[in-house]
Amino acid sequence: MIPRPDDLLRVLPETIWCIFGVLMMLLQPFTRNRNVLNFFAILGTALGTLVTFYAGFPGGSAFQGLIQMDAFAVFFHLLVGLVAFLVVLAAGPYLERERLDGAEFYALIFFATAGMGVLASAQELLTAFIGLEMSSISSYVLAGYRRDSLKASESAMKYFLLGSFATAFFLYGIALVYGITGTTNLARMTTVDSSSNLLKLGLALILIGLGFKVAAAPFQVWTPDVYEGAPTPVTALFAAGPKAAAFALLLRIFATVPAATHFWFWAFWVLAVLTMFVGNLGALVQSNVKRLLAYSSIAHAGYVLVAFTAVTYLAGNSEAGAAPAYAAVLFYLLGYALVKLGAFTIVSQLGGAGEKHLSIDDYVGLGRRQPVVAAALSLFLLSLLGLPVTAGFFGKFYVFKAAVNSHLIWLAVLMAVNSVIGAYYYFRLIVVMYMREPATQAVPSTVGFPLTVNVVLAVTALGTVYFGLFPNQVLSFVLQSNLLGR
Amino acid sequence: MLMLDNLWLIPLLPLLGSAVNGLLGAKWPNKIVNMVAVGSTGLSFLCALEAVREFAQLSPQQIPWVKQYFSWIIAGNFRAGFDLQIDHLTVVMLLVVTGVGWLIHIYATGYMAHEAGYYRFFSYLNLFMFFMLILVLAANYALLFVGWEGVGLCSYLLIGFYFLKKSAADAGKKAFIVNRIGDFGFMLGMFLLFRTFGTLDFVPLFAKAAPMPADAFGQYGTLTIACLLLFMGATGKSAQLPLYVWLPDAMEGPTPVSALIHAATMVTAGVYVVARSHVLFMHAPTAMLVVAIIGCATAFFAATIGLVQTDIKRVLAYSTVSQLGYMFLACGVGAFSAGIFHLMTHAFFKALLFLAAGSVIHAVGGEQDMRRMGGLRTKIRYTYATMLTATLAISGAPLFAGFFSKDAILFADFESLHGGHVLYAFGLLTALLTAFYMFRLIFLTFFGKPRYDEHNVHVHESPWSMLGPLVVLAVLSIFGGWFALPEFWGGSDYFANFLAPVFGRREALAGVDEAAAHSTQLLLAGVAVLTALTGFLIAFWLYIRQPGKPEELVKSFKGAYTTLLNKYYVDELYAAVVVKQLVWLSRDVLWQVVDVKAIDGIVNGVATSATEIGDGVRHTQSGNTRSYAVWVVIGALVIITIIFWAYGRPTAAGMVR
Amino acid sequence: MVPGSHLLSVLIFFPAIGALALLLLRGDDHVWIRRLALTISIAEFLLSLLLIPGVPIGVAGYTLVEDYRWITDPPIRYHLGVDGISLFLVILTTFLTLISVIASWKSIEHRVKEFFVMLLMLEVGVVGVFLSLDLFLFFLFWEVMLIPMAFLIGIWGHERRIYAAIKFVLYTMTGSILMLVGIIWLYNLTGTFDLPKIQQLLQDGRFAALTSQQEALLFLAFFFAFAIKVPLFPLHTWLPDAHVEAPTAGSVILAGVLLKMGTYGMIRFCLPLFPNASHRAAPWVATLAIIGIIYGALVSLVQPNLKKLVAYSSVSHLGFVVLGIFAFQNISIQGALFQMLAHGISTGALFLLVGMLYDRRHTFEISQYGGLATPMPRFAAFFLFVALSSMGLPMLNGFVGEFLILLGTYQSHANWASWAALGVILSACYLLWAYQRVFFGEVTVEKNRTLPDASSRERGILIAMAVITLWMGVGSAFFTRRFAAPSQNVLDQMQRQTPQEAAAPSVPAPLTSPQRVIPSEARNLPFLTKQLPASAPPPVVIPNPAAPFAEGGEGSAFHLATDPQSHAATSPERRSAKR
Repeated sequence: MIPRPDDLLRVLPETIWCIFGVLMMLLQPFTRNRNVLNFFAILGTALGTLVTFYAGFPGGSAFQGLIQMDAFAVFFHLLVGLVAFLVVLAAGPYLERERLDGAEFYALIFFATAGMGVLASAQELLTAFIGLEMSSISSYVLAGYRRDSLKASESAMKYFLLGSFATAFFLYGIALVYGITGTTNLARMTTVDSSSNLLKLGLALILIGLGFKVAAAPFQVWTPDVYEGAPTPVTALFAAGPKAAAFALLLRIFATVPAATHFWFWAFWVLAVLTMFVGNLGALVQSNVKRLLAYSSIAHAGYVLVAFTAVTYLAGNSEAGAAPAYAAVLFYLLGYALVKLGAFTIVSQLGGAGEKHLSIDDYVGLGRRQPVVAAALSLFLLSLLGLPVTAGFFGKFYVFKAAVNSHLIWLAVLMAVNSVIGAYYYFRLIVVMYMREPATQAVPSTVGFPLTVNVVLAVTALGTVYFGLFPNQVLSFVLQSNLLGR
Repeated sequence: MLMLDNLWLIPLLPLLGSAVNGLLGAKWPNKIVNMVAVGSTGLSFLCALEAVREFAQLSPQQIPWVKQYFSWIIAGNFRAGFDLQIDHLTVVMLLVVTGVGWLIHIYATGYMAHEAGYYRFFSYLNLFMFFMLILVLAANYALLFVGWEGVGLCSYLLIGFYFLKKSAADAGKKAFIVNRIGDFGFMLGMFLLFRTFGTLDFVPLFAKAAPMPADAFGQYGTLTIACLLLFMGATGKSAQLPLYVWLPDAMEGPTPVSALIHAATMVTAGVYVVARSHVLFMHAPTAMLVVAIIGCATAFFAATIGLVQTDIKRVLAYSTVSQLGYMFLACGVGAFSAGIFHLMTHAFFKALLFLAAGSVIHAVGGEQDMRRMGGLRTKIRYTYATMLTATLAISGAPLFAGFFSKDAILFADFESLHGGHVLYAFGLLTALLTAFYMFRLIFLTFFGKPRYDEHNVHVHESPWSMLGPLVVLAVLSIFGGWFALPEFWGGSDYFANFLAPVFGRREALAGVDEAAAHSTQLLLAGVAVLTALTGFLIAFWLYIRQPGKPEELVKSFKGAYTTLLNKYYVDELYAAVVVKQLVWLSRDVLWQVVDVKAIDGIVNGVATSATEIGDGVRHTQSGNTRSYAVWVVIGALVIITIIFWAYGRPTAAGMVR
Repeated sequence: MVPGSHLLSVLIFFPAIGALALLLLRGDDHVWIRRLALTISIAEFLLSLLLIPGVPIGVAGYTLVEDYRWITDPPIRYHLGVDGISLFLVILTTFLTLISVIASWKSIEHRVKEFFVMLLMLEVGVVGVFLSLDLFLFFLFWEVMLIPMAFLIGIWGHERRIYAAIKFVLYTMTGSILMLVGIIWLYNLTGTFDLPKIQQLLQDGRFAALTSQQEALLFLAFFFAFAIKVPLFPLHTWLPDAHVEAPTAGSVILAGVLLKMGTYGMIRFCLPLFPNASHRAAPWVATLAIIGIIYGALVSLVQPNLKKLVAYSSVSHLGFVVLGIFAFQNISIQGALFQMLAHGISTGALFLLVGMLYDRRHTFEISQYGGLATPMPRFAAFFLFVALSSMGLPMLNGFVGEFLILLGTYQSHANWASWAALGVILSACYLLWAYQRVFFGEVTVEKNRTLPDASSRERGILIAMAVITLWMGVGSAFFTRRFAAPSQNVLDQMQRQTPQEAAAPSVPAPLTSPQRVIPSEARNLPFLTKQLPASAPPPVVIPNPAAPFAEGGEGSAFHLATDPQSHAATSPERRSAKR
């Protein structure tokens, strides 16, 4: 059958990303000129992101409800798009430094982004699965993009194996749910008897699959290795993009399937607590900055899960004030994405050729050598730590608020405890940068940052501060993407 | 009423003197410092005289005369004003403090002439005058406390004047801290009074207290508690048992200081406070008895120690403690006027004794040990004469100042209701001891053969700047007592009458018919004289007739002697029981164990355990894919279980998770 | 109130602007950096003085209010205001910042620019804390203050500075993050972050939402954060480390104002917002405070390290403040407020003096000194003066605060006051002993023989401190007159709660008897265990007179209780009743 123009319009961002991806691959034989590639990559990501507005307003469903392009989806499209854009911006110099081939890299990023886009707007489980696979498979390859590095290949392998493992869970879950409800369309699952064990099992498996994506303990095992092994720009992408997309799907499921909210509350409670503690405690002892940030991103997944628990609770009891809880998640993801991008970009720059300088000791005296960079990194760290006036602070604040709203006082307290643990290792990094005197052994010399990277840093840093002072606009936008219209 | 309206001038002058000398005096020659110091004190003495003259013209209704200058502390319904008050009691104190203070200032100009830090000394001394005057002029307990603490500070500074000497610094610190212990009680006393009466101003407070029914004997009512607390402060300031220990050490200070602060004025502040609060004490018979007993005990106890001391100033120090005991004894039995009277006469003769002793020390080149003196009688006549006068006065020789005041006290004891005769007996005994050790001092110092090294030390009479005050005080020590010439000797008991508006006539005398009272009083007087005489004779016999005797006695009563010589080992006791334990507790328990080990231990322990757990977490990251897969499976099972378990579990509102 | 005046905003953000200006200077241009910093801090100080005429005497409530919408969801407002409670704390902050700038003139040699920037940012945070009336805003500034302080300790501190800095951050975070949860919960219950609004709700009694369990938890959430800052007894161990490692300026600000943020929070939030919980907690808090007083004094008695000695003395002094606050007496709260200022000045001065010694000899070990009075008499004089003020000599600032606290506390809890008063003795012990070991006797260490006396710059600082010390000691009324109304107001806000609480089920057993907390001399003092005279308001007629509520009732009804006539009248039959 012929898709209606609306349908095509509503997948326009994905389409553009895919087109550019293909374009990249086609370009490769003809030009090795990095600037050209970079240009197209930047252009593509930017374009895809921008058309989201065009595609999203007025939103609506497409392909008989396979796709739901609403403000919520728009938000995530913009988010992943922005992430892709910034990653691409920062990646150019990196690839050059590491002498890596640009075209495939960008292509993969495009496909991954497209996948995330689908994931964000999918309202049908198989569509979601496709999106998931798109993003995942590209991610596997990206993780191992530094062929010469053993670590990279190994991590890619792990990622691939475990990833497919998890995907299997997800797919099987879909199958079961379909078996019970006779549909894979979330919108049609609104009325099902939630007592059926198979449905429970199915939803459980779906949860597991997505839990893997968002690196929730105990499915986080892959994260540190993969984050560490992957090229840092890719790590940045992983930390910000797929996670957000996966959370998006989860939200979507809550929004439409009431059954899920009943089943998942305690699961989320446990996941949240586990994830927070595993992430923070694990980070305490890391001496490799990249790995440290990996653990910290696990911890933050935990915080988001706290908000989710709140959401499940509120949605489950269809209480008012669930919307703010959703808002909390979205806002948190935004702030978090910015910060993580900025941090990883700095790490990848300071890493130097072959990413040799990743140890904390390499950051000794950074405050003297590169005051601006150090300041920026401190800002990101403080945001992760959740101090005002940063986006991270408000993110955390809204999560707390959501938790308290749904009477999850103890969960909130546990989260508080975790923030204190977190404070230790984030602050430790700051201490290293400013307070420890450089030891005698040679410290990496000052690294000049290329323009694009500085742009990325500027954007992320300013964003962090701006959202830390005036969260209003985002919030109002996020709130009008109210999923609990029902 | 010029002066009465500007009472603040009296304390302020010395303060100015102190400030000027303290800030600028460093570079000035002694002359100018003298002028400022002595001048300011003298002026304030004159002001005091003028104030008293004007006071004499006040009508009884205007007394006590209170001037409010400004509010020092206001909070809620509490107000402590900078209010000065003058009544008959204040007049006595005022004259004693400014007068004697002034004389001693003059004396000091001579005595300290060759000391370094001359300006510092006088700055402190003037500061002391300021606080002492605040103390006696204050119209409420809070302001009184200002003076109270202030004089403590000055005594700290002056005792530690030779701060290069460790002993001096120690003594100063000791004095301040022991006083603080007393002040602890004093403060609580004030709080209780405020809680009870809603004010700390003397006039309204006493007005409210007067109509209250007195506590029964042996009952611990509010007033009794309050009085005891106040008295605790007094024991600290006036060196009574058990807090007397600082006074003997205080002799580390220059002699004029000992004379002014540790004999004539500051140490009598406790007595003053008790007398000032007599209205309260009258309502607290138990407290009164405690005061009397403590006073009596202290008097006797200190006197015994005084018997064997060899340092001339220490003898006087213990004698001071003992005499202060007398004063409290008097107050304790309700003879406040007698107590204050003794305070006054004591101020004269004890100041004189110290100053004379100072003159002696000055003469023999800084020697203070009486065993290295002797035969000075002929060399320093004036000093000898004056000191002898003072000795006669303190040992209560008839018609000397001490005679009357001591008589009055003993008589009051005798008459008093609770355990009067015991108190009387001890008082008498103390009188005996006093006469003995004072004459022992005289004999050892001025009689017998010179025991000092006559070649190096050339004895010389002190300059007139020092002798002048001696003479004046000597005169006072003789005639000072005649104010209180009791009726039966044709006197009008002027002093008691003078203070009558404050204390009223003594209840003890009420009802007792005059004639009988007089006869007993006469009898007691006779007894007292005899006792004093005995004391004198014993001393005479021991130190003039058979100089070898004391050693023999010492040998035969070794234990007793050493005990006395070491002041009953009280200092050692305190050091062992209080100081050591406190330091041990603080260092080896509170700091090292509680703070470092317990609290910080826990804190750091939490931190380390967190890191250890983190280490554990890291080790689950074996890097081995198979184990990872296992993890995922386990996790999956966990989640599935939870979801099945959780189904139907309440997620209802209200429960706090 | 001056309509449309933005004085408060200016006060908060002027230092921030100044800090930015500093950033523009060349890093190695130390002279001008210092000069600019000095100018800024002077200007800020003068600006803060403008507050004094702004705050009317004898009127509770906030003036110079600024209230703007900041964030729509949740409704967070940019709401500032000042009253008698915060007035002098702000001025103290600006003054001490000025002093610290001068004090660091010579002692800070490396990374000068960053140093002064941090100092000014710290000022921003602290002033913000004292001026914000929106819980969220308050918390925001509370956190903002954290980082600059940590940097001051961590960069310009001494040997173990990093340990100290991290300890400081973690301790504070622990408290504050829980307070955040508390704040959000409170918002959940009341629907606003606006302090005056919440107080309004309270006073209208429209606060049924708050069960006693909730109130207790909320109280703890706030109190914990404040108690860490103060620091209250078992939570104090960050303080000695932070102080010893911090540079002089850091210590001055830390002791001078940061600690006050805790006690300020107690007065501003704990008491008015959670009166019943406060009442129930009072015996426990007071016990901790008293332990802190004695414990801090004893521990500082035996410190071989001069700066640590002063640090522990702060624990002792702040104990007095907390005690005064939780005695719920107008007098004692005024005393607490005064003591905050007094402690800020005198302990600040002590740290300055210690810092000056350090500049000369680079050690804090008391054993390294001795006999300093000979080479540096002026310095010794100043030190003695400050020490005396710190040990509470009348006519100096230390006395008034302690006296009022004890006096007020005694009105309702004689036993607390009696135990606390021991601190008065001990303070004399540790300060005089330390003083003797440092200044008296012969010079023991050769190096000390030639130490220079206080330089003119140092003398300037010290004279300023000394003058203020004296002024506060003599003219305390100037301050207390402005405390009176607000502190009474705090008590009134607590009162409104008591009746319905009296109706509520009685409190858990261990809480009921403050007498049991400390071996009491109540046996000896008939008045102490007494309830009120009949003339007292409802709060007093409570079945269980020993219950803390009764204590509080007695406390707040105390202006009636000690009203002369009623007292003179009541006292006799009281005693007879006792017999």
